[in-house]
Amino acid sequence: MLFNSLEFFIFLPVVFVLFWFLFKKKLKLQNLLIVVASYVFYGWWDWRFLSLIVFSSFVDYTIGVLLKNEEEERKRKILLWTSICVNIGFLGFFKYYNFFVESFIDTFSLIGVELHSSTLNIILPVGISFYTFQTLSYTIDVYNKKLEPTKDIIAFFAFVSFFPQLVAGPIERATNLLPQFYKTRKFAYENAVDGFRQVLWGFFKKVVIADNCAKYANQIFNGTEEYSGSTLLIGAFFFAFQIYGDFSGYSDIAIGISRFFGFNLKQNFAFPYFSRDIAEFWRRWHMSLSTWFRDYIYIPLGGSRGSLSLKIRNVFVIFLVSGFWHGANWTFIVWGALNALYFLPLLLAKKNRVNTDLVAEGKYFPKLKELWQMSFTFFITLLAWVFFRADSVAHAFKYLKGIFDSSLFSLPEVLPYTVLALVALFVSVEWLGRHGQYAIERIDFIKKPLRWSFYLVLIMLMFLFTGEDQVFIYFQF
Amino acid sequence: MKKFLKKIIIGLLVFIAVNAIIMGVYEYPSYKAIQNKTHRNYLKWDAIHSPSNSFDMIIIGTSRCYAAFNPVVFDSILDTNSYNMSTSAQDIAETYYALEEIYQHQKPKYIVLDLFFETADESYDYYQIFSNSSFFKSNKRKFSLISDGYGSSGFLNYAIPLVRFKNYIKQDVSKLFSRKESLRVEDNWIKGHLHDTLIVSDSEISAFGPISNFENTSFSKERFDKYFNKINALVKKNNAKLICLRAPYPPTRLSLKDTDDEGTYFKEYTSKAQIPFFDINAKENYDEFYEDKDFADYHHANYKGARKASLEAAKFIKQIIY
Repeated sequence: MLFNSLEFFIFLPVVFVLFWFLFKKKLKLQNLLIVVASYVFYGWWDWRFLSLIVFSSFVDYTIGVLLKNEEEERKRKILLWTSICVNIGFLGFFKYYNFFVESFIDTFSLIGVELHSSTLNIILPVGISFYTFQTLSYTIDVYNKKLEPTKDIIAFFAFVSFFPQLVAGPIERATNLLPQFYKTRKFAYENAVDGFRQVLWGFFKKVVIADNCAKYANQIFNGTEEYSGSTLLIGAFFFAFQIYGDFSGYSDIAIGISRFFGFNLKQNFAFPYFSRDIAEFWRRWHMSLSTWFRDYIYIPLGGSRGSLSLKIRNVFVIFLVSGFWHGANWTFIVWGALNALYFLPLLLAKKNRVNTDLVAEGKYFPKLKELWQMSFTFFITLLAWVFFRADSVAHAFKYLKGIFDSSLFSLPEVLPYTVLALVALFVSVEWLGRHGQYAIERIDFIKKPLRWSFYLVLIMLMFLFTGEDQVFIYFQF
Repeated sequence: MKKFLKKIIIGLLVFIAVNAIIMGVYEYPSYKAIQNKTHRNYLKWDAIHSPSNSFDMIIIGTSRCYAAFNPVVFDSILDTNSYNMSTSAQDIAETYYALEEIYQHQKPKYIVLDLFFETADESYDYYQIFSNSSFFKSNKRKFSLISDGYGSSGFLNYAIPLVRFKNYIKQDVSKLFSRKESLRVEDNWIKGHLHDTLIVSDSEISAFGPISNFENTSFSKERFDKYFNKINALVKKNNAKLICLRAPYPPTRLSLKDTDDEGTYFKEYTSKAQIPFFDINAKENYDEFYEDKDFADYHHANYKGARKASLEAAKFIKQIIY
């Protein structure tokens, strides 16, 4: 079920009413309702893949219980690796099997050995990369004794399958989300209103910004050879806003909906396009995934400590894994590697934590230096997005070559003023609201009539500028 | 909770009020036109629903079809009583349900269907679709058209005028910032055919793009196949004959591309389905037969173009039915 579908607009009020009216003050029943609702939500896409979530939940729940009673380190390790193998095994099979087979054959063909093997027609279960990481974090935290394993199977199943964030995140940690399933919930007006506002902003990002940008990004990326350098640059620009609007929009909707039900999810995006360097960008982009990699891969590998070669290795590992997490395609791996190359000089010069504060805090406009830093960071990010969006690495290089052509300074053939105006409006609102968790969080200072008018304008824009329906990009991951 | 629900309800009421205003603004002219008996779809359906009429040939398709095929020309050659039931931006699902409605009130022996990629693409002009289907007498049929033809998107557009009229609202807003163009009057209708005296301007001709093809439309073969088969079955069930046509394009547009996806696809498709198909665009020396000035714009024939198209089409149909 998609957030931007009619089915969901019927589903959500039904679940809301059952949750707060029928099962009010009945914690267990509320949790059970979340499990059932989440399975309906997921099964709407393809009920067959529910079995994966159920199995994965059951394995990790059982391993958690066994870890609690097991003191012997060797056996604890076996349990941990069982969980890792099961979860990564599913992910590997559904997401990476064909990629590995094809890459294996290609590698041998380079040395003149022709191998014949057939790939499988595998459907990628929606959200598998997200819920796999969520359940894995639980087992790893229990293994590391950072978290008390749960005995409440319903709460655990609800934690794994919680429908607002099941298919595209934010990837929640058990330490944050699981305890929220134990506490009796009380409806909080402020939370619900805030959630509603965030949902509204999320839909605006998805429907108005992402879907409209997608139309032009697709057109330009699909016709790379036909367009001038300036048009190709515009295409990359539109893709940058498509992916940001799409993914952060989904996160906003997920966080907002969770608040209706009394849950608080982690912030996933913190205005990444206002970053002054690439390190800051990665602290602000897909934060739930970045911190996951940081805590479960980067730090265990030694992080930024150790020798120079170790530091370089760790940076490359984390960015390559991040790229590979996004998809079984060399384009994502190159995208990851490119970001590692961007990041490495900052780390080696120990300048990766220079920009930890908010840009131009308390001011309406940034300084010229900050503007230059933000523009430069955005530009190099945009170049990296070309790899992320391109059909192949060769396509990406062709695209980049096309951008840096003499035609870069010509008038673009595709210049949709309306969409550019919408993006400008969006960036302005984001800039003014960058102090909050999301752009319009602190809109309360505006008087009610004006505030409501603003909401109405957002809603009107959503209906008027509904682009062609695009599936959320991150569903494929 | 009460406070929250109260706000949601107020928000919904404001939203409903905004939609009601939009509905009023955009539907009022239609309402007035129906009152004055000048609404083109109303007049068309009135002709169909009137038992005194007995049409034996129905011509159906989009605005391209009502501009190109004149029933009076057909009748003079075929000795029929035909009527052009084409409507603006008609979609192929709409065509099927319109034919169902027609068969409830008339017994045409021939259905002449105009083929055009955009009738089976993935963008719909819901305003036109609902305007046309609002004159169906059967509510069940109206419901089926929405549920079967467009699913949840159809219901959303039906329920929310803001969505249904979005393209018109955007046009009107952009007009506020652009040079005002005089409204084109389309009031000369002959048996459902628009007798258009407008001639395309040179500046419009110079801005012509290629005709509908696989790249510039989102033509869905599956969707076309589904409804074409339904139309064919419906026509057969009523012991009638289905004949397909393709309305003309200005020669300059045709010449912009070496290939004609639309013509080739429909030719092969109808040949497989064993349905007679006449494509005037494939006529030998087409660019001598037609000139751009036989058109009112980039794809609608004017009265001169319509006469040529109707004569040629009628000759073709004559070979089929006699």
